[in-house]
Amino acid sequence: MLIRNLAFAAAIALSAGALHAQAATRSVWDGIFSPVQADRGHAVYTARCAACHGATMGGTGEAPGLTGGEFVSHYDQLTVGDLFERVRTTMPQNDPAALSRDEYADVVAFLLKSNGFPAGNAALDRRTEVLATIGIQAQKPTGAASGQ
Amino acid sequence: MIQTRTLLTLTLAALLAGTSAMAQLNGTAVVRKAGPGTVNWPTYNADLAGSRYLPLDQIDGKNFKDMEIAWRFKTDIFGSRPEYKLEGTPLAVDGILYTTAGTRRAVVALNAVTGELLWSFSLHEGKRSAESPRALSGRGLSYWSDGTKRRILYTTIGYRLISLDADTGQPDPNFGENGIVDLKKDWDQKIDDLETGEAGAHSAPAISGNTIIIGAAFREGFTPVNHNNTKGYVRAFDVRTGKRLWTFHTIPKPGEFGYDTWLNNSADVTGNAGVWTQISIDPDLNLAFLNVESPTSDFFGGQRPGPGLFGNSLVAVDLTTGQRKWHFQLIHHEIWDLDNSSAPLLMNVTVNGKPRKVVGVPSKQGFFYVFDRATGKPIWPINEVKVTQGNVPGEWYSPTQPIPSKPAAYSRNGFSENDLIDFTPELRAKAKDVVKRYQLGGVYTPPIVSTTAKLGVINNWAQGGTNWPGGSFDPETGIAYVYACGTCISSTGLQPGPKGMTNLEYVVGVDGQPVSMIRGPGEGAGADSPATPPPAGGGGAGIPRLAVDGLPLMKPPYGAISAIDINKGEIKWQIAHGETPDFVRNSPALKGIVIPRTGQSTYQIGTLVTKTLVIAGENQVTSTPERPRGAMLRAYDKKTGAEMGAVFMPGPQSGSPMTYSVNGKQYIVVATSGGTSSGEYVAYTLPGKN
Repeated sequence: MLIRNLAFAAAIALSAGALHAQAATRSVWDGIFSPVQADRGHAVYTARCAACHGATMGGTGEAPGLTGGEFVSHYDQLTVGDLFERVRTTMPQNDPAALSRDEYADVVAFLLKSNGFPAGNAALDRRTEVLATIGIQAQKPTGAASGQ
Repeated sequence: MIQTRTLLTLTLAALLAGTSAMAQLNGTAVVRKAGPGTVNWPTYNADLAGSRYLPLDQIDGKNFKDMEIAWRFKTDIFGSRPEYKLEGTPLAVDGILYTTAGTRRAVVALNAVTGELLWSFSLHEGKRSAESPRALSGRGLSYWSDGTKRRILYTTIGYRLISLDADTGQPDPNFGENGIVDLKKDWDQKIDDLETGEAGAHSAPAISGNTIIIGAAFREGFTPVNHNNTKGYVRAFDVRTGKRLWTFHTIPKPGEFGYDTWLNNSADVTGNAGVWTQISIDPDLNLAFLNVESPTSDFFGGQRPGPGLFGNSLVAVDLTTGQRKWHFQLIHHEIWDLDNSSAPLLMNVTVNGKPRKVVGVPSKQGFFYVFDRATGKPIWPINEVKVTQGNVPGEWYSPTQPIPSKPAAYSRNGFSENDLIDFTPELRAKAKDVVKRYQLGGVYTPPIVSTTAKLGVINNWAQGGTNWPGGSFDPETGIAYVYACGTCISSTGLQPGPKGMTNLEYVVGVDGQPVSMIRGPGEGAGADSPATPPPAGGGGAGIPRLAVDGLPLMKPPYGAISAIDINKGEIKWQIAHGETPDFVRNSPALKGIVIPRTGQSTYQIGTLVTKTLVIAGENQVTSTPERPRGAMLRAYDKKTGAEMGAVFMPGPQSGSPMTYSVNGKQYIVVATSGGTSSGEYVAYTLPGKN
């Protein structure tokens, strides 16, 4: 059967990629992780991720860099839930889903911090369905706080 | 080792027909549609010449934009986890699509009209697969028929050659041992451990007549463990029985031609020099064309002094005997990871009024080499030119390298300050600041030992120019269409190889940082992982980003398609391929500046050529004011490069597109994956039933 409407096909594609994008009510510019959590994530990153993605997240070989415009724009218009699930289900590449859910949340907090998104008071939630309500916007909205 | 087999699509009609209709008791027999209006894509590159061309014209410049998705085939279930690096090009034979899929590299047969699964086959290889240097679904498979038997042949992740009945997906009991040839055996070299011995292959086998040719691929060569790695000898087998027919020693044995090009008998203790890319065959000349990669290691050759034949050579061998007929070494003593990367293009052109059978070779270094196919003599002079000599202790440098006089380089292969970002004077000034800690230089500027002052040399290295997707061409006009990445840059510096980690004197590393093993394509990501984990700790070649205010360090085009007229040796047109990345288009530093389409920095782009179009998708997702987040499959006018239309893809192109026709209806299929999009084959066609 042909999918006759291109817009319809596009909508399917988007919903497949963005788990719950329609429910996004907050954004990565709203201070969605805590500094302490990002620090914990840094330690996990160093132990489990840096061997391939590089100590300074620049990438090595086939493992892509995890900071900068190219990385962020790849996730633009998706949700933190999409990013979290990609990391949780496929990383570390040689042993996916090997970390605890809290550790994955910490690593994602570190990724967000490293890409200039601002920290807040509360830690990033560990539940995918909640993270799926937080939109990733590559462009900083007017008036939003900056990360370090 | 366990096999997974499924046989689907038992139609009610076929079941009712009873035992006399046993031949109809499988989906492929019911679906097969040979005859007028059905046009096949029977090999990885459409033909053994490497053209990626079919003269179909139902989909043209006027209606390309109207194409709709006919079907989508998600590959997630063909392995223990989804794949995000689906690189296959399917085959289409008589209305059936055959392709590889998933992290277990399953073979699937699909109804080419509907995408319905007809059968699947996969081999569970355990540790042997987990340890493979070339995991994931691979790039394709091969079809063979003598008019009666019909076979699908492919190489597993664990480096076994398998012959399947194309109708049922069952291994052919008359081939090898129960349908399998163990490629780690009978190789003119001893593989001590069949599970961990380093060898694999991504490419599709090349078959002509009853001969099937297999190459080999190895781990990434940035940080190899052992310079005396497995040797990448090329073998041919009888396609019916799996019996080995011949072996070509890509690194000569003592007494063989070329052995003396390895000083200090270093041929004996050097590995790699495999043919990991596609092999092309000219049945009329009875020649196979082997595009050989670099010897161990990619960036340091001090332990293999000398030019080192047949490293980085194009070698024409007799299809029947495997004897070398001619060779040409494109790079002497390669130390840039510019290994020969794509299928040789066997073209028939007219040069200076004379018909010539030529072989053209696109390359990572942006040169397009052209030789007489029968003799190996360059069509236009390829001159030995003096090149920069380096000073890495113990390295051996070739004083000259062969540089083609025609056609001109079709992609950047060296960088100077003139190549730095120049959208604004401020950005250019900042870029100059960034590169102070690096060395720039032209093609064949050798790697340096990384120091605080100079961390490394910036160039395209492995990911520039044309990589594994290779080129394409129109046999009717003699014009080649080749994608190349112009700014897939990185910095390469060397550090002493840590004892206990490697026996290489130097490996890739950055001053002040611990050397870490760099992983290759898909390594450790296959269905049977976890394999050995990378060492924990803060390693990794962490270096300052080669960016300015978040923008690429070098100016566009980031990636481009070139049309090269091989009759004249001239570039006919070049166009930037790919939407300008969001982080460039939306950069605050570029507010108010109109930037023409930049193309994208990627080496994953393969092209398809039809009667009137060159077709290629994008490898990066973007969002524009006109459409939501996604990537586009684009069509260009073959004659001018003008864009004729584009359609939305659910994910970025990661395998090269192909086309076919069933009952008069044309389809285009492309593999997509990347980011959050797991592997999927997407088929497009025009609206309506016919």
